[in-house]
Amino acid sequence: MLAVTLKGLAARKLRLALTALAIVLGVTFVTGTLVLGDTLNRTFNTVIGTAYQHVSFEIRSTSAFNSDAAALDGSAYRKPIPESIATAVRRLPGVSYVYGAVGGYAQFMARDDDAIGGGGTSTLGFSFDPNPRLSPYRLVAGAAPTTDDDVVMDRATATKHHFAVGDRVLINLPNRPQRFTITGLVTFGSANALAGITLAGFDSSTAQRLFNAAGHYDTIDVLAAPGADNVALQRAIARLLPRGVEVVTGQAVSDQLSAAVDHELSFISKLLLIFALVSLFVGGFTIFNTFSITVGQRTRELALLRVVGASRQQVFRSVLVEAALTGVVASLIGLGLGVLAALGLRALLSAFGVTLPSEPLVFAARTPIVAIAVGVGVTVVSAIVPARRAVRIPAVAALCDQDEDQSRPLRLRRLAGGGAIAAAGVIAVVWGLTRPSTALEGIGALAVFVAAAMLVPILARPLSGAIGRPLASLFGTPGRLGRRNSMRNPRRTSQTAAALMIGLALVSSVAVLGSSLSTSAAASVDSAINADYIVTGSGGFSRSVTAAVSRLHGVSTTNAIYQGQFAFRGAVSRLTAASPVRLSQTVNLHATAGAAAAAMERGQLLVDTNTAAADHLHVGMVVPVTFAQTGLTRLRIGAIIRPNPLVGSFVVGDGLFLAHFDDPLPVAVLLRTARGATGVPRALNRALLPYANVGFDSRAGFERSQKRSVKKELGLIYVLLALAIVIALIGIVNTLMLSVFERTREIGLLRAVGMSRRQVRTMIRSESVIVSLLGAVIGVAIGTGLGIALASSLRLHGVTEISVPLPSLIGLLFLSAVLGLAAAGWPARRAARLDVLGAIATE
Amino acid sequence: MSAQTLDRVAPAASSTAARAVALTKTYGAGDAAVTALDHVSVALERARLTAVMGPSGSGKSTLMHCMAGLDVPTSGRAMIGEQEIGELNDRALTQLRRDRIGFVFQSFNLVPTLTAAENITLAADLAGATVDRDWFGQLVGQLGIADRLSHHPRELSGGQQQRVACARALLGRPELIFADEPTGNLDSSASAQLLSFIRRAVDEHGQSIVMVTHDPRAAAYADRVIFLADGAVAGEILAPTADSVIEEMKRLGG
Repeated sequence: MLAVTLKGLAARKLRLALTALAIVLGVTFVTGTLVLGDTLNRTFNTVIGTAYQHVSFEIRSTSAFNSDAAALDGSAYRKPIPESIATAVRRLPGVSYVYGAVGGYAQFMARDDDAIGGGGTSTLGFSFDPNPRLSPYRLVAGAAPTTDDDVVMDRATATKHHFAVGDRVLINLPNRPQRFTITGLVTFGSANALAGITLAGFDSSTAQRLFNAAGHYDTIDVLAAPGADNVALQRAIARLLPRGVEVVTGQAVSDQLSAAVDHELSFISKLLLIFALVSLFVGGFTIFNTFSITVGQRTRELALLRVVGASRQQVFRSVLVEAALTGVVASLIGLGLGVLAALGLRALLSAFGVTLPSEPLVFAARTPIVAIAVGVGVTVVSAIVPARRAVRIPAVAALCDQDEDQSRPLRLRRLAGGGAIAAAGVIAVVWGLTRPSTALEGIGALAVFVAAAMLVPILARPLSGAIGRPLASLFGTPGRLGRRNSMRNPRRTSQTAAALMIGLALVSSVAVLGSSLSTSAAASVDSAINADYIVTGSGGFSRSVTAAVSRLHGVSTTNAIYQGQFAFRGAVSRLTAASPVRLSQTVNLHATAGAAAAAMERGQLLVDTNTAAADHLHVGMVVPVTFAQTGLTRLRIGAIIRPNPLVGSFVVGDGLFLAHFDDPLPVAVLLRTARGATGVPRALNRALLPYANVGFDSRAGFERSQKRSVKKELGLIYVLLALAIVIALIGIVNTLMLSVFERTREIGLLRAVGMSRRQVRTMIRSESVIVSLLGAVIGVAIGTGLGIALASSLRLHGVTEISVPLPSLIGLLFLSAVLGLAAAGWPARRAARLDVLGAIATE
Repeated sequence: MSAQTLDRVAPAASSTAARAVALTKTYGAGDAAVTALDHVSVALERARLTAVMGPSGSGKSTLMHCMAGLDVPTSGRAMIGEQEIGELNDRALTQLRRDRIGFVFQSFNLVPTLTAAENITLAADLAGATVDRDWFGQLVGQLGIADRLSHHPRELSGGQQQRVACARALLGRPELIFADEPTGNLDSSASAQLLSFIRRAVDEHGQSIVMVTHDPRAAAYADRVIFLADGAVAGEILAPTADSVIEEMKRLGG
């Protein structure tokens, strides 16, 4: 029986190749995702391992937070500790070496005055320890920094931006930009750089001054002497420490960091994996369809097998073995391509602004296992229903004529089943949105798609008839024939269309969500701020920016905005701070109870109406909150404000904020200009010249840039969904090829009675466009519904406006028609080239 | 065959609807070469029903395919009217089939997605030509399918399907209709019905028809029977009867 299966496989090479392609692409995506994820993990873990290789203990202040963010960006969550601790620890017996470190924002400016690196924590300034016993940094050229004019730069940045030892370089720092002389180049361990992070190393006292930590360190690292009793030493150090300062082993710090990095990275991997699974799901439809059609076409062959004595079990197995073999071959190819895909994904992510280190790829042992299991699994599962259909073929079918139009009636059972699954899916989506639970939403959406695929056959005939009508009148008889062909087997048409339906449903739900997001963002800018200009920079910027812009002629009010995290009722939330002085000139805070500015002045907390309603809060209540650096505090609620997505749910005055956050950087400065002031943009341009990472926008411009940033994020999702659509198109090509093959005689007849090649092509193309549009219309309808549901569930998260982007959705339909036309290219050419006589003679 | 019928034929330059001149068709090459047609020359007269008979493998289908432009002969010439088929490219051949030739096959004559009426007007629709409604009504009336026009092929009997195919072939008044075993899949009464209609089309409308068959009773409806054997013309009978055809076949077979 296996031999028969294998011979069958060989005979249907082309069809198989097309089927396999759907799986190849899906597995490629899965493999690429796994490889990329492993590579990133390995890279960061190597970095962390290098950094803490020699550290026996680290002394640091305690943090009230145990979050990933706190582990990754220590300085924002821990207070500096006094230098005197280092001096005391140094005297302890069993201590070999001690180094106190300070770090913070330090962003190099390129020679053309462009900022280098992404800002925030990706542009690291630190105190450079020339002693290599603890430091992970290695001096590879020049000398260590010794004066307050010296800096060492990482070799990668120096190479990329053509800096050499002895050059002057401008660096943006927390307080103000400053020029330094490059005295040396460093590497991180043996790596050229630290996973894409730029490094600026200063001598210890300069770093303390630059990062506003005179007399303090962020952390103190300790190297124990060889043979020292580490447990006793840790206890001895602990005895020296004041309240709020702790000593942990280097291993513990490195473990915490690793866990935090893994967790952060898993978000990227999970996101990619979701899209990979969507592609595979769509691929499954293609396989299901192909096997359904081939089983139909092979009715006679399978029945003949039954006549000569094959058992039902053997027929069943032969179809499944065929599927499994297809799956194995496709998965192996996909596995190979997946490695390339990992490189492609990395390039793609960085094109969309996600900076990832470019280290050699990691091919973990579980990657091929998972990829092949998933590829083969999807193929076999998709072939089960067609295989069961094959089993039901009676032996007598070998003697009968077969006719593709003998499609079985659509049973009531399907209607009931589809309806039930659809209802369950919708309930799951709605429930998932309210919980909120992404998994539940995903399962719900999946159920909706399966139900739609089950129910579409009922709609397929009238719907493709309606879609095809204008085509038929446009393209005459060939168009009419294409329309009839799309209606002749609703089951096949809808299975083909279903794959595209899923892809377009996802695209259009993202489109609706994106449009709602950007409309909301624009609306929120308008309702949130009064300022005429907004100064922003990625990941915060030097404090001197505020002073520089407030001095400008024509600027009447400035307000520096800070943001940080605090824990409110157990949940870590965003806290925004602004100056209460002339608040209404720059920020719109509409208080529904209490007075916003006055409350901020008094150091009270402002919460928005959503939070107030959800947590039963009112003005005058005292609530406990936790700050990472200062711990538990009680705050009085001073005002309830209308939701303002730009500032978030919690607002305080800058006085309170600065008391709880050590040395924070402003994230934005809002400007109000005097009435009739002119030339402000030019003045701003000049004032901000030294701060290449800082830009400004008018309020209208800021609205536009908010919209743009939403668009950019959506762009990445569209690109990732594009693969699912490509796979759906392969499904259409596949079905058309099978149909052309099946209708050889019919096409021969049409040619014999005078259909030209061009007309044959038009006929096939019309059918393809109709099938594509069928999938697109249903997909866009479902997707719009999903998108609206998704957007309305985000009302509390700032999506205040629901916007259905009609032009984009219509554009999607148009695009589908074009894609359908493209998909028909090959099958249409093949049909047109059929030899008339051969086609007629085909049995 | 009355003189009156012949009068109805257009005063053509020649009285032949199609001609084959030294038509040869070989399949394969070298020792394995099979000669399906060996220098066959025949002329098919206008307004006549010509039957081509012969045992399996005698080359009768190949002859028809070559003369209709469906197959390309190895050598020799095939002509429809004065048009040499070998000179035509695919586009011109398609046009020739659409405008000047009609086909009736043994089976699978109709497009399953089209109704009977749409199948009949298919060639005209493909050409974008207007259909002669009177002629259409006359045809479907004579064929007894007027009440079946909105049906799809699978709702028609085999005989009805073949009559629809005949109507399609006749609608464009082609110079020549090729009928390849048109009664091959029909029972005897449906065959008789179809054949009398074909006969009538020749007699009343001066249609030229060539019919490949191996049924002597079908051949008896023809004006002339051409016998093929081993790829060559082996005999010919004018005004045949079933008996005379069987006689001739016996002679050739023996």
